[in-house]
Amino acid sequence: MRELTVGPDTVVLGIETSCDETAAAIVMGGTDIVSSVVSSQIDLHAEFGGVVPEIASRAHLEMLNPVVARAIVEAGVDESRIDAIACTIGPGLIGALLVGVSGAKAYSLAWDVPFVGVNHLEAHLYSALLEDPSLELPLVVLLVSGGHTMLVEMRDHGAYRLLGQTIDDAAGEAFDKVARFLGLGYPGGPAIDAVALHGDPEAIRFPRAVPEGLDFSFSGLKTAVVNYVRAHPDVSSADVAASFQAAVVDVLVTKARRAAREIGATGIALGGGVAANSLLREELLGACAEDGIRGFLPSRAMCTDNAAMIASCGWYRLRSDGATPLDVGALPNLRLPLLAS
Amino acid sequence: MGGALGAPRGGDGGVAMLILGIETATDQVGVALSAGGAVVASFEVARGRRHAETLAPAIEFVCRQAEVRLDELAVVAVDVGPGLFTGMRVGLATATSLAQALRIPMIGRSSLDLLAFPCRHADRVVVPVIDARKGEVFWAMYRQVPGGVQRVVEPTVGSVDDLVADLLARSEEVLLVGDGADRYLEEIQQGYRCESIDGARPSAVPLVQLAHAQALREDWVNPREIEPIYLRPPDAQISWVTRRERP
Ligand SMILES: [Zn+2]
Repeated sequence: MRELTVGPDTVVLGIETSCDETAAAIVMGGTDIVSSVVSSQIDLHAEFGGVVPEIASRAHLEMLNPVVARAIVEAGVDESRIDAIACTIGPGLIGALLVGVSGAKAYSLAWDVPFVGVNHLEAHLYSALLEDPSLELPLVVLLVSGGHTMLVEMRDHGAYRLLGQTIDDAAGEAFDKVARFLGLGYPGGPAIDAVALHGDPEAIRFPRAVPEGLDFSFSGLKTAVVNYVRAHPDVSSADVAASFQAAVVDVLVTKARRAAREIGATGIALGGGVAANSLLREELLGACAEDGIRGFLPSRAMCTDNAAMIASCGWYRLRSDGATPLDVGALPNLRLPLLAS
Repeated sequence: MGGALGAPRGGDGGVAMLILGIETATDQVGVALSAGGAVVASFEVARGRRHAETLAPAIEFVCRQAEVRLDELAVVAVDVGPGLFTGMRVGLATATSLAQALRIPMIGRSSLDLLAFPCRHADRVVVPVIDARKGEVFWAMYRQVPGGVQRVVEPTVGSVDDLVADLLARSEEVLLVGDGADRYLEEIQQGYRCESIDGARPSAVPLVQLAHAQALREDWVNPREIEPIYLRPPDAQISWVTRRERP
């Protein structure tokens, strides 16, 4: 394999297949997104109200090569300009991850360029930096998605501390379950976001569960919604959705700003699918302005799963740790690498 | 990338045509390399680490030992199943991505073909049987023809009872082969008198042999035309547990 000095001209092809998006992107120098292609499988899973692993894996296999081809065409670069292949190795659905990892290794072999395995959670942290490289560390990243709800202190590249996380359901999971209960469809996040626009967020005062420290809990809230609707069958779904969303956002923003105060962060960045929620974006910006710190909202495309964040994170990992051996497998339960303290 | 396929390298005269074969449809991982139809290297492992960990290093090893650079390949051949879905996809994603990146054509063969071909000198109908888990098997039937075998029953999935019923309906002398035959031999033999070859798995060696004959006829496809043979609809179980584990 040819020697690679990682620098501002280094072109990384990123590949992401950990859940229900097949994505490929070309990123130069770690932050310059040259192309980013995402093929979503939402329609395939909608009738099941959640991601079906085998359906996801089949669709990834079908879409992987076309999506990579399109990312290269849209980038307008010759594939000989690609210096490295970065790919999500975990966490995620094992069968889905394996499609991307296998393809990525094959591209690495065929083009004789390094392969670098990327932690999907770490890549979400980079999605904030990708669109605003002027952000200064330390930063609090509120990572909220269908599988995760975490507050992470990003001290430096590769140096993270977990400040708090959910002790039961992830925020996105609560959105999906409540949306399903209200018959609003799948995925729950956008469905509730849309319906809530027509409802009164103060119509119902749902409980704000506040476990110790900076942790979260959403299962009680979900139960409260179910109990309330059963007791008040004529309640407007829009009011329930708006009041539920207000409760989730309230808890997320309160804890995020407390976290920022505790570590003296320069700002708070959002990441993960739930970061596309309109109310969360609005409230977080307001809170940051009040506290005199920066609030950073990546574009919705960068919040949800994409390969630009994988390529970006891959560039940093390659620069600090070098290539990943080709005998690495997919790691469905991979965790965020954390500092000891 | 994409676009029309050129003629494979080494297709005519001079240089021997190089074909890489990838096989991951059962619990075995196999890679073979042929030059002008002769198998010049092969790697096979039936236990230990899983497909995804083993396959790419195996391709690298086989090519390096045979002193072949990947950009010299003319065709990538792959086992398209039926078999264990996750393993199959490791081979398929690897093979199609290699072919796409190298801009070379592909040849896909069924795992059942790969089991039947080595039995081309047998004197009876060959029935490859692959373990499909969940109490089911994949099977097909082949008859000997000059130089090889010809499929007479298309790949099917069903219970062991379904297989026995199919054998009874045809009532021919058969030879069973494959991990499904190994696992359910007693059960099958209770319903139908037959013999089996023990321990056979679909292998990358017959894959490159079959692919070479096909490549001589230019009977190949674009990587995007390679279709896995699943034979079973996806299991539509969603679980909040698996969902929780993902970001
Ligand atoms: Zn994600």
